[in-house]
Amino acid sequence: MAQSNTSILSEILAPEERAIESVVGRYQRVAGAVARFARSLTGREDLRVVLGAGSKSSDNEIVIDPGLFQSAYGRRAPVTPEETALASALHEVVHLVSTDLEERRPLPIEWLPKDAEPPGDQELMLLEALDQAGGLPAEALFFALEDARQELQGLIVYPGARSVLADLYRAAIPEAAANTGALSQFALAAFLLTGGYIEREILEKRLDSRAAGALSDATPFIEAAAAATDPWDVAGLALQLLVVARMHNLVASASAQESVQHKKLREEAEQEAIAEGVDRIRLHSPIVQDSESYDETRKASEARAAETGRQAEAEVGANEGTDQILRVSQSPTIYLPSGQGGKLLVARIPTSFRTFAPEGRAAIRQASKKWKVDSRHIAGELHPLFIANQRRGLRSGYDAGDLSPHAALLLGAGLYERMFERRASSTRRSYAVSVLVDASASMLQPRRLAGPSDRQPWGLAAAILGAWTLAAMCDQLQVSFEVSLFNRSFAAQIDDNEWSYGKRKNSATAELRQSQGSAADRLTSTVNHYLLSTFDEPWRRCQDVMAGLFWAAASPAEATKAARREARQTPPVSMFEKAANVDEFNITYAAQRLAASRAEVRVLVVLADGMTRGSVDSLAGAVEVVEQSGTTVLGIGIGDDTVEATYGRSKVVARPDELTEAMVDGVRMSLRRGLAMFGHDTWWMRSGRDRQNQSWTRKTKETRNA
Amino acid sequence: MPDKVTFEDPSGEGPPITLDTFKVGTGISDHKLRRKKIPAPDPYYLDMGMLYRFAQVEKVRRENPKDEVVLHLAVRGHMGTGKDHDIEQFASLMRLPYYRIPLTGEVRDITLLGSVKLHGDGMGGTESRWEDGDITRALRGPALVNLSELNAAGAETLFALHGLMDRYQAIDLPTGEHIQLRDDVRLFGTMNPTDLRDYAGTQNLNKAFADRWVIWEKSFPDGDQVIAMLVTRYPTLEPEYVDALSRLATEVNESFLASDSGSRVETPMSLRTVLDRMPAGLRMFTASQDPLRRAWETMVLPHVDAYDVDHYETVWNACVRKGPKIAPYNG
Ligand SMILES: Nc1ncnc2c1ncn2[C@@H]1O[C@H](COP(=O)(O)OP(=O)(O)O)[C@@H](O)[C@H]1O
Ligand SMILES: [Mg+2]
Repeated sequence: MAQSNTSILSEILAPEERAIESVVGRYQRVAGAVARFARSLTGREDLRVVLGAGSKSSDNEIVIDPGLFQSAYGRRAPVTPEETALASALHEVVHLVSTDLEERRPLPIEWLPKDAEPPGDQELMLLEALDQAGGLPAEALFFALEDARQELQGLIVYPGARSVLADLYRAAIPEAAANTGALSQFALAAFLLTGGYIEREILEKRLDSRAAGALSDATPFIEAAAAATDPWDVAGLALQLLVVARMHNLVASASAQESVQHKKLREEAEQEAIAEGVDRIRLHSPIVQDSESYDETRKASEARAAETGRQAEAEVGANEGTDQILRVSQSPTIYLPSGQGGKLLVARIPTSFRTFAPEGRAAIRQASKKWKVDSRHIAGELHPLFIANQRRGLRSGYDAGDLSPHAALLLGAGLYERMFERRASSTRRSYAVSVLVDASASMLQPRRLAGPSDRQPWGLAAAILGAWTLAAMCDQLQVSFEVSLFNRSFAAQIDDNEWSYGKRKNSATAELRQSQGSAADRLTSTVNHYLLSTFDEPWRRCQDVMAGLFWAAASPAEATKAARREARQTPPVSMFEKAANVDEFNITYAAQRLAASRAEVRVLVVLADGMTRGSVDSLAGAVEVVEQSGTTVLGIGIGDDTVEATYGRSKVVARPDELTEAMVDGVRMSLRRGLAMFGHDTWWMRSGRDRQNQSWTRKTKETRNA
Repeated sequence: MPDKVTFEDPSGEGPPITLDTFKVGTGISDHKLRRKKIPAPDPYYLDMGMLYRFAQVEKVRRENPKDEVVLHLAVRGHMGTGKDHDIEQFASLMRLPYYRIPLTGEVRDITLLGSVKLHGDGMGGTESRWEDGDITRALRGPALVNLSELNAAGAETLFALHGLMDRYQAIDLPTGEHIQLRDDVRLFGTMNPTDLRDYAGTQNLNKAFADRWVIWEKSFPDGDQVIAMLVTRYPTLEPEYVDALSRLATEVNESFLASDSGSRVETPMSLRTVLDRMPAGLRMFTASQDPLRRAWETMVLPHVDAYDVDHYETVWNACVRKGPKIAPYNG
């Protein structure tokens, strides 16, 4: 921060640093202080400051539209990103809490020309009165003065923040002066001088001579505006500025010959010129922009104040664009070994998949039979491992198998097996398995099954069945277990159904296209990581959701039909979109979670059908780094051999039974390997049917390519 | 003729109060040591009203000796608001030997009251002898005893002090000795507000114990008071620096007092930071490009919890952003 005087914001900020999610992320670092400043400025102890769509303020809440911050970062000014985050937020707060033009008064007589008829005693709002007295140009000048006055007075205790604004504004002067006419220049100068952002002598040199001439006549009024405490006084001074502008022929004088239509057009053009000049300098704030946005902001504020409690269901889709920005901004940034980074949206799988649970459980039973996934068979095969691991788990609480101090009691109660006490800590379970399942639309496509004509959508279904089987096994073995799905699409939320998902997606997309243009795609089509069952929860809790998900995966056509019929009662089946994944982000994230589980033996199983969007090299690099960290990564390709080029340990499967077998086999091998590594080379490891599958042996990049 | 001292009401409302100062007579066995314990007046001390209030109580007490009301004064305020300093300066003006006894959790009753210790008798043998603790020693002559961090005191300590605080006004030592509160002893205390912040080891003051005190609140000095203190103590400090320091302190402390955890900081900017460390930092970095910024980085940020740094820096940016371009001290 000390070096801020030497750096220019636009030079140090890469384009992605100006992306809305970075801007919001940076705002979040100053948000606490800004909220506190807002409370001090208003004297309201319980005031909240939140981000949302459309700036507005009510008694206990200020909503700031994060889009407003963004423009400030585009300026070539000697300010740091942190300074900009603070100044742009505080700027909006000051305008929101200081602008109130609702009071009604009779039209002040001094606002009218001397020869005009005296006004009636009807009470008007400031903008109505000003419109009668001076029309559109007066209104535009008023907002310029009022904007600057509020900043000068509202930020009096925050000179640092004000100096950031000054730097941002001053940086915009040369271009504004070069590209605008005398009237615009006169207006922008009035704004800058009222706010005290620059010395008059310095500014004048930049201006057109007519603007400069008018400016010196306007100086007393500008000084008065800076000191004014009442917006009605500011409006009176705006009218004086208009007189000065007319004297200097910056605006035309009304003439008797001018038609009503012509006058209207002229005034509109003058208003536009004034606004354009000021807008090239100031930071945009809707409430002091013009009368229309003032009204809109007020209306939005009143509506917000009337809102009570949680958002009603009917309101889904209200501020989706902004909500989406916040969701993306707050999600973790994942860095790949290549140095590339990106946002990863982490969410829970929608619980509404439970509604398909009954069908799902039946379908799982059927599929296990059909695809020969006999869970008892697997359990039997792994039995020795199961026992050994359990004993190990029991022992780990007391070093070297110390007896529990309660041993006698336990023996007395006939609880032999509890002789060895367990410690409930994260180290108790020294094995962890994480299954990561590709959930893009291609996994739901029909694939060849038995014969050429037998095509069914088994990809996702078999993967979930495999995960189901592994989950059951790990649960018995006391191995920590996690299942996640990944895809790229508009991210579903935990409480979404088909209806709310579609509605949110459409509104967010529309809103963001409007506010963010081409960046909208990046914000709506996110890299998602859906947690289905996590390390720290019993897997039983997730069974229904998983069973429902299985049904949706095994019978996508029927699920879609149900969704069409009763969208509000159906899980969001359209969340499985057709978009290529970027597997490496999800793999890196899943590996981070595995590492955080602090298990000694860690296995990551990735099931994908190979349609990755990222590069093969980048994916291979990410897998390699995870392997180096001591986690075993198994890549299973469903009808696709990309995995062989990207995973050190891989297997390509062509049938559902192969897939589940590969998963179970791979995990078993990895657990064995882990046990051996930690010196648990016991009789049961060597004996029995050791069908260690050679295909899981790790190949290095070199041997892979050979 | 006893010496006199006059207290003015800084708010200008009350009349000045003139009181006789205390005397440490030669009859007191440790009078030499005791006189040395009378604090020197702080020439830069700024009375924000506390001394005058202390004097008011002292006056009431002297004028109504028969009331026998127990008037022990405790000042409650956050760290670095100047509580101890007020009490010390009162002792100084009243010419009372000053004993500051911190009652942190580790203090045992034997440290306060005293214990029997073994001493060599010079002939190879030992004898056991009673040795006064901190409070006992203070109570044996004229004294102002400042029991600081009252609400950090353990139950044991509170129990030991109980008798002293109530109408019994005495401590009974294990030796059987009875130490009565003398006429020329004043008991003061300080404490942190426990409702807001988690000061290590503090708790809400035991109700029965709290009832034995008159408790006065002390808040952070406001911006103008900080300016006045800085100007008195550092007359050559440039006004721009004085302003900036006062603004930073006021704003940080306002954030410290914020009611929700999302928008507050856990470390206030104490008077020690503002009046001692920052001015010293400004001297250290006189020659650097931005002395205020350097002093802030060296003297303030290291005291701040990691998660508060963003907030502190935002306050910096809002209030200062770039320090004054001139040297901090003229002359
Ligand atoms: N009223 C005052 N005028 C001038 N300096 C003061 C004043 N109060 C406190 N100080 C300075 O602030 C420092 C900290 O005050 P202190 O009494 O120790 O705070 P507390 O006891 O509330 O933690 C003191 O050492 C002194 O230098
Ligand atoms: Mg503005």
